[in-house]
Amino acid sequence: MGAVEAQSRVRSSSRSSGVLPLLPFFAFTGFFLLWPVVAVTLKSLKGKNNEWTLDNFRPIIHSGPYFHSFIVSIKLAIITASIGSVVGAFFAFVIVTYVGGRLKNVLDSISAVFANSGGVPLAFMFIAAFGSNGLATKFIRFLGYDIYAGHFTIFSFTGVVLVYTFFQAPLMILVFQPAISGMRKEWREASTNLGASALTYWRRVGIPILLPPFIGAFFLLFAGGFSAYATARALTSGTVSIVPIVIGALVDGNTQASQANLGASLAVGMIVVALVIMIGYVWAQKSTAKWRQT
Amino acid sequence: MASNLRNSSLQKWSIIIFASLLGFTLFILPVIASSIYSFQKPGGKGYSFISYTWLLHQAGFFPSVGTSLKLAVLAGILNISLMVPTMVYLNFTGQKLKPLVDFICILPLVIPVVSLAIGAQNAMPSFLQNTQYELVFFFVIIGLPFTYRTLDTALQAISLKTLVEASRSLGASWIRTIIRVIVPAIRGGITGALFLTFALSIGEYTITSLLHWETFPTWTVVASQQNILGAIALSVFSFVSAIALLATVALFSKKGARQVGVDQ
Repeated sequence: MGAVEAQSRVRSSSRSSGVLPLLPFFAFTGFFLLWPVVAVTLKSLKGKNNEWTLDNFRPIIHSGPYFHSFIVSIKLAIITASIGSVVGAFFAFVIVTYVGGRLKNVLDSISAVFANSGGVPLAFMFIAAFGSNGLATKFIRFLGYDIYAGHFTIFSFTGVVLVYTFFQAPLMILVFQPAISGMRKEWREASTNLGASALTYWRRVGIPILLPPFIGAFFLLFAGGFSAYATARALTSGTVSIVPIVIGALVDGNTQASQANLGASLAVGMIVVALVIMIGYVWAQKSTAKWRQT
Repeated sequence: MASNLRNSSLQKWSIIIFASLLGFTLFILPVIASSIYSFQKPGGKGYSFISYTWLLHQAGFFPSVGTSLKLAVLAGILNISLMVPTMVYLNFTGQKLKPLVDFICILPLVIPVVSLAIGAQNAMPSFLQNTQYELVFFFVIIGLPFTYRTLDTALQAISLKTLVEASRSLGASWIRTIIRVIVPAIRGGITGALFLTFALSIGEYTITSLLHWETFPTWTVVASQQNILGAIALSVFSFVSAIALLATVALFSKKGARQVGVDQ
């Protein structure tokens, strides 16, 4: 190990190393990713006359609708990430354990399409499938259950939850598979040799090892569900008031300066929530890495 | 022992059957249901292509598809040109800055796209805001998390150091090495990254609509207000063709297919 390191150090000194080749990447992400984030933050801190102020954040904390939109968004993210991560983890387990070869490739690719298809098409497909005259609705009614018997409509909060699950679970399949693949056969064998039952193995070995990556993936799904805009917008035409939709309405409407600043402060509010999630994600990644090393 | 085996195989098959049924209900049923629905005649019984032909007669259809295709292709190319050299360099040299690049590349998944769009409205110089090509740059940004993983996986699967040193010691320049040696070696990963960026860009709605541009997805939403069946037909068409495309790629390329997706 030491020899390899020394060798690579010699190599790297012989070549023009440094950050120069990475400059395009840093310049690009700096300008198109970080700078917009900084700009929106600055804007949220500016008042009508360009003075520094925290006033733009006041409506989020005090006024009902804006505060409420954060509650709705967080609720949506927690519910869809919970359903998505449990369902997705189950499928990931089945795929890793029982499926191989080309079928696995195909399933992975389909999951990738589903996971990234959170968008406009998904909304309309679900209207066709689960609308009051949708074919899936009719099929389920044929099986003896009327999903429209209660308060359900596809255009409601529950409808959005249903549609989000459709891309959250496949995302989980993709991000959770490596964790399950990383489970060594030897661990199972060792625990069986020591007399553990399958249940004991999962309780004492499997779940403790899979928990950090599971939580990490949950946070990733949370972030996705929290910030998704297109599906909810196309599905509900803006009636389910999650934060992105409120922001969209503020931006689309006749933009007065004060409203634009409010939009910016809502956007910053979303970033703050996202950063909290990111910290959780990084923590989970670290715990995962710790397990992997040992 | 024998009964144990039979037991576990019974367990195995019941899990597989349960998973297939659940997968069918959750994922396949909505796709099939909406596909059939898209062929229904408006209001009445019977099936036809009417919703599909309606699309073709709409003034906005071809221009918006054209715009989306153009932007998606450009985003794919730009993404690859930016990320392939970056990832090659990171994997070849000391990995000191790799965690930082890794972190930056996961950010687009974390930072809400809505916030990025509002930021873009405030941050981009007006000459960029005046052209639809500004979207290309943001499509590249939202593709980064996927491109990073895909290319990283591909590069770790080859003996990069040996290839680079062989090529360099034979006198090839860095650029030549990347184009002639590394790109062919990680074809699969590059194809995967291209497809994903392309697919993401084709479907991107949030930034596009908040920056007030018209592409295929934003046009679909506008069109849906006139004819919901047409919008459904459109959605089914784009979704099913995306699946067909990626499934075909996965089926026919042995190495590359595995690198499609968020291979963490």
